[in-house]
Amino acid sequence: MKKVRSSRVSRSRLPYLLALPIIALSFFLVLYPIIQGIYISLTDKTLGAATGKKVSFVGLKNYNELLHSSAFLNSLRLTVIYAIMNVIFSVGAGLITALTVNKKFRGRGGVRALLTAPWAFPDIASVIIFIWILNSAFGVIGIINVHLPFDTSGGWLTSSPYAFISVVGISMWKTFPFYSIVILSALQGVPEDLLEAATVDGAGPIQRFKTVILPSIRPTVLLLSLLAFIFAFRQFSMIYLTTGGGPERDTETLVLMVYNTAFKYFDYAFSSAIGVAGLIVTVAVASTYLLLTGRSEKGAR
Amino acid sequence: MAVVRGSRKKVFVMNSARYIFVGIICTLVIFPLYWMVVTAIQPPNVTLQYPPVLYPVHPNLLGFKQLFHGNPMARWLLNSGFVASITTIITVSFSILGAYSISYFKWRGRAAFAFLLLFTQMMPEALIVIPIFKIYDRLHLLNQLPALSLIHAAFVIPVGVWILRPAFESIPKEVNEAASIDGCSDMAILRKIVLPLTSPAIIAVGVVSFFASWGDYLMAVTMISKKELYPASVGLASTMSQLDTPIQTLLSGALLYGLPPVILYMFIQRFVISGLTAGAIKG
Repeated sequence: MKKVRSSRVSRSRLPYLLALPIIALSFFLVLYPIIQGIYISLTDKTLGAATGKKVSFVGLKNYNELLHSSAFLNSLRLTVIYAIMNVIFSVGAGLITALTVNKKFRGRGGVRALLTAPWAFPDIASVIIFIWILNSAFGVIGIINVHLPFDTSGGWLTSSPYAFISVVGISMWKTFPFYSIVILSALQGVPEDLLEAATVDGAGPIQRFKTVILPSIRPTVLLLSLLAFIFAFRQFSMIYLTTGGGPERDTETLVLMVYNTAFKYFDYAFSSAIGVAGLIVTVAVASTYLLLTGRSEKGAR
Repeated sequence: MAVVRGSRKKVFVMNSARYIFVGIICTLVIFPLYWMVVTAIQPPNVTLQYPPVLYPVHPNLLGFKQLFHGNPMARWLLNSGFVASITTIITVSFSILGAYSISYFKWRGRAAFAFLLLFTQMMPEALIVIPIFKIYDRLHLLNQLPALSLIHAAFVIPVGVWILRPAFESIPKEVNEAASIDGCSDMAILRKIVLPLTSPAIIAVGVVSFFASWGDYLMAVTMISKKELYPASVGLASTMSQLDTPIQTLLSGALLYGLPPVILYMFIQRFVISGLTAGAIKG
């Protein structure tokens, strides 16, 4: 009797023990740094040489400055535009590709394998190849440049608006093939008999897409759109190493601004305040995600 | 008859259009990778000609040779392998325990735990890299490769849990109940039943965590400042900014560094999809 009881006690503790390593690690490397960041954002701390300088508490001064900083508001606007363009172009191209590849044809397996390649390709390797392709003196892009109706002689990565177009393009290259595979796997769940019935009823391809295909892949497409948004929001090294946020600050998304403010301008406190603003965006997006997935789960029941 | 012939013609046109479209997509996807290979295997004087030739001229493997002579690239690749291996060990073991707790037990705080994972997965690392840098500085953990692995693990573990959770939950309840009645403890069930049945998903977590660490630049460049300790990502980026590095050598390095994840990801594609979407759907 006693033995049964003790085993029950340990059983109720077991899940906590199992989750403990992750919780501990998250406290150490995620939550504690966040608290630290919030604290620093309320001070006037700088990074680097001025170690002897006394750090003082300044309250919400940094946040007040933030709301009046044109650089921050510009970066925020840029981040949102960048993320939305990622969603529209990457998920859009992914959807079109998936719908085309969904039919049986020769070499389909090979095409699917190929479509994973850019996603798996590490950021730094992608950066190196695109810097080389877009190089204004020797890049292979030169072949196309001469046929373009606009002047790109300032360089694809060094003049506006081409730098912004380039980072969107590189990000799209990396993500849309993979998104197409995800949508492709959702397309397997489209009921075959419904499609046939629609065809018999005389529905054209567009009508079939609207009435049969789209309703059944909508949750996946919505989810992917959100993931594409997050992916763009998080993206650091691919922008940092191609444009560094430039020219001027025309490709400086929020994450780059956090990094540059601390390591280029050494304003640790202000950088932390921008970071906190970014965290608020993250919480909002994560909550939206839960809301969306919760609803799609209910819909599935 | 005429109708049939007409529709056949239509099908032919549709199929041709499909092949052409697929061809364009494949070219767009593959061209940067192809161009990398071309540049890596031809001499720089050919590469620097204008207009560029779209196929390799005088192919050779000198770029790879230069990479390992008088260049720390081999060292950097080894560092990356070391950091990624430790990340993999931590991620796989922690994710197994975490996924087991979340898919087999009902406990208070489970939803909060799931939200913590989701939040960690979505948060841009760049937002908290500076506080982590400060903490590591204070604890003398800068320039320590295993300490870098720990950061990589913290951010990839959520993906690991999302990949394992649906795999764990796909095992029929009856199997575990039978084992439990036979006197198996919960940990024995995990070891003897759950793990052997879900080994493909566990391997997938290994691959994902290995290459998440292998691909990281931000954390590595912030925490590691000694050149001999650079992982390949930081090493390559530093080579890129040195103007005296021959383009052939640089592209050979990028190729050698970028190819392994591409090959391995093709095998675990389906798990990556579930880690990205399905796992979190049940939030």
